[in-house]
Amino acid sequence: MSDKNPKILSFLCNWCSYGAADLAGVSRMEYPSNIRVIRIPCTGRMSPKFILAALRQGADAVWVSG
Amino acid sequence: MEYPQAVPLKYRIDPEACIYLQKGKCGVCQKKCPVDAVDFEQKPQTVNLNVGSVILAPGFEPFSPTGLENYQYARHPNVITSMEFERILSASGPTTGHVVRPSDNAEPEKIAWFQCVGSRDLNRCDNSYCSSVCCMYAIKEAVIAKEHVGESLDCSIFFMDMRTHGKEFERFYESARDRSGVRFVRSRVHTVTPVPDSDDLELRYVTEKGELKTEIFNMLVLSVGLQTSPELVELAQNLDIELTEGRFAATDAFSPVETSRPGIFVSGAFQGPKDIPQSVVDSSAASSAAGELLADVRNTRTKEKKIPPETEVTGDRPKIGVFICQCGTNIAGVVDVPQVVEYASALPYVELATDKLFACSQDAQESMSEMIREKGLNRIVVAACTPKTHEPLFQETLTDAGLNKYLFEMTNIRNQDSWVHKNNPELATEKAKDLVRMAVSKVSLQEPLEELELGVHPAAMVVGGGIAGMTAAKSFAAQGYETHLVERGDRLGGQARNIFHTAKGDSVSEKLEELIRSVESSDKIHVHMNTALKDVEGFVGNFKSLLSSNGNEKEVEHGVTVLATGAEAYKPDEYGYGTDDRIMTSLELDQKLKEDDPVIKGLNAAAFIQCVGSREPGRMYCSRLCCTHSVENALELKKRNPEMNVYVLYRDIRTYGEKEYLYRDARKTGVIFIRYSPDDKPVVKAGKDKITITATDHVLQMPVELEVDLVNLATAVIPYGDEKLANFFKVPMNEDGFFIEKHAKLGPSEFSTDGVYLCGLAHYPKPIDESIAQAKAAVSRAVTLLARKTVYSSGTIAQVDQQLCATCGVCVSICPYSAPSFAEEGRFAGKAEINPALCKGCGLCTASCRSGAIHLKGFDTDQIFSQIFGIDEAI
Amino acid sequence: MKNLLEHMGIEPERLHFSWISSAESTKFVDVATKVTEAAKSLENKEKKFVKTKPKVA
Repeated sequence: MSDKNPKILSFLCNWCSYGAADLAGVSRMEYPSNIRVIRIPCTGRMSPKFILAALRQGADAVWVSG
Repeated sequence: MEYPQAVPLKYRIDPEACIYLQKGKCGVCQKKCPVDAVDFEQKPQTVNLNVGSVILAPGFEPFSPTGLENYQYARHPNVITSMEFERILSASGPTTGHVVRPSDNAEPEKIAWFQCVGSRDLNRCDNSYCSSVCCMYAIKEAVIAKEHVGESLDCSIFFMDMRTHGKEFERFYESARDRSGVRFVRSRVHTVTPVPDSDDLELRYVTEKGELKTEIFNMLVLSVGLQTSPELVELAQNLDIELTEGRFAATDAFSPVETSRPGIFVSGAFQGPKDIPQSVVDSSAASSAAGELLADVRNTRTKEKKIPPETEVTGDRPKIGVFICQCGTNIAGVVDVPQVVEYASALPYVELATDKLFACSQDAQESMSEMIREKGLNRIVVAACTPKTHEPLFQETLTDAGLNKYLFEMTNIRNQDSWVHKNNPELATEKAKDLVRMAVSKVSLQEPLEELELGVHPAAMVVGGGIAGMTAAKSFAAQGYETHLVERGDRLGGQARNIFHTAKGDSVSEKLEELIRSVESSDKIHVHMNTALKDVEGFVGNFKSLLSSNGNEKEVEHGVTVLATGAEAYKPDEYGYGTDDRIMTSLELDQKLKEDDPVIKGLNAAAFIQCVGSREPGRMYCSRLCCTHSVENALELKKRNPEMNVYVLYRDIRTYGEKEYLYRDARKTGVIFIRYSPDDKPVVKAGKDKITITATDHVLQMPVELEVDLVNLATAVIPYGDEKLANFFKVPMNEDGFFIEKHAKLGPSEFSTDGVYLCGLAHYPKPIDESIAQAKAAVSRAVTLLARKTVYSSGTIAQVDQQLCATCGVCVSICPYSAPSFAEEGRFAGKAEINPALCKGCGLCTASCRSGAIHLKGFDTDQIFSQIFGIDEAI
Repeated sequence: MKNLLEHMGIEPERLHFSWISSAESTKFVDVATKVTEAAKSLENKEKKFVKTKPKVA
């Protein structure tokens, strides 16, 4: 694992942030490529277990966005 | 592409700019296009269509201020229109949302808005109507500009009357002034001069107190009005439909979306200047009106689709097919697609991995469904663009190939990968691999899901027998549906019974009697008078309501419900109301006008006091219809006795749209308008002969005394706020007691609860024409459901494993849609169960179930874990 | 949640929450960049995943 490339797991709400992420693409914006997205139906779906599991699996950070 | 919302979202050639079409050379695009989509030979064609009705929704054009010399629009770069400013605020606009002024791209410190540019003005343009929307959009622009730039930005709006008559608009106006710090200046600026040696502008205006002021601004936004384009005027002539004075399509208050020519309907700003929710209401209403005409031929020209039987895959070992889209060069130009394909084919359970030039193209879809059949694939992953737009398309391909459409996962390697990491192809390829691996591990746990098919009972229930409710019932009946109209009182007609004239001067009672007769005589409409709603159970398509009338109970079944419960007039305890017969509410005056009461004949002077109970703390909304109503009755009094002195005491006159003509005519005929401020309200004293009103005149800045024989209080419209009813249908109400619609702009006539709709005053105060339009709109939305005969619940819903349920009740209390409840009978009585018809699949219950008993299909805990576990390999 | 992480010896800076509407692509990019930077700065620290002080006696 390189120091410069942490892996970030993000949980994005299908209706809000996932849409924003799509729009960022449509607008051809750029941002770091460290983020891996899991689409969830709603942030209500989030459970603390997911965050802990992600960190245990070696994710360097977790980002939950509604 | 003209704009990102274009339908269909495809590129087209601009013949004016195309070198090939202009000069016959180039054609590079044709050579480059990998799917031969470019065709220079296309010519305009005339297509003849045979239709039963036509709906006109051609919209408006913004007024062009080029001709208004005094505003410097044509000459000064920092004078722009509100439409142009809208683009500056937009994240997808030329400045990506940074507020800068055009001349030097510097962030402005002071911006001024001018209202009524191209509206309410006969001197410098032909538009004497009010454009209805500009006050609100100017406030919105000012607030957003302050959000973008920061607190320090000075935003000033110069206006004549502030017209925030829409739902929740008054509160927005208040908070823009008090919380966001937007400055409102009641003044029409007469001179704008460029400041020498700078890009700023100097404004000269007269304040309310009559002082001449000069002030310097960095930038000026002209709030331009809405108008009908000359091309549309020509179209209207060709179609032989009548236009109004303001060049909008002429309609009648009782048929607000019908043009003067039968079969041609109109919606949106071509019917009159209006905002989005009102346009959406109109468009639904127009489709309902058109649908009434076409009810007999409904579904005669639709084609049924054949669906192959579903292959049984439960228990089979996953055989995953991975399709990776190149999207032309959109993905393949950045991500090394062959490398991802190779990587994907080595993943567990993957039977086949391949790439597609355009996975969404028809030939790619066909080859996908062929491969599914040939290789016996039972799970599919598509790595392409976004599931938000393309998931349904691929799911349809699965269905066509005989595979359950939930055996599918889509991962986004375009919008969220290749497009945003184009300078980092290596990392983008790595990311694509990770995303594909995560999708593969999720899909292998995916199970075929069932969409519950629910029958729709082909009947409607309308609650409320006012003008909105009756219009809705009549429209349902005209489209062939049995309708139960429930009225708690003993007469149909609601508030319209009390109203004398519409704003267009038509008698209400005649039309109302006509409507009541047609409702009572319809064999499809069952009118339940003196009836209360006792209980409601069921859900979309299958409601069962218990009606109770004089002790008799009756159960009716209906597929949809329209709430049209109306509102009532506020009875004030101020201005001496109730102490003197000569002080009355607007509806009481209407009654006197209708009956030609001798009292009216004896009047020498009358006064109208506006905003009684509206726009005040505790009732911070504008009742929308009272300004027009009072101005119209003021005119009526003047008509009956031109010698009478008529006064209107107001805060802002809100005769929006073409109702502005009434205000203009009232001033012309000598009605005197006196503005008061809410902290200095008029004082009413009833004497023996006369009533004396003392108010501060805004022009003279001095108290004036008016002696009148009659005082009309324009009181607020108050909803009934029936919580029991709201609970029956699980629909929300706002703090004022009005129902909250699904979406303030895009879903004004429906609730977020499926199968329940709303219209009329229960939604927000509105005049008769708007109530009728909304009633038709509610029916239109409801009929889209009734016409389908069956509804399918989504497959991605929560389900309870009742063996694990601990009956804690968290899911029951937490669900925003009331889907979970405790089972009442059977082996698992007392345990939670989830109604699939109500569940929206948000997963709130799944996450909060402490026993792990709830599974959200399609996003189940083990699937999300498998995605999480999918990342460790990359680390 | 962040307290829980801290208790377990994980830097709370590893967890981020945000609310972004579907129209706010600019904000999405901003937050994505910030989250990444925060993670990077944690990586560059010498000690990782180390509990600074035992919280439980």
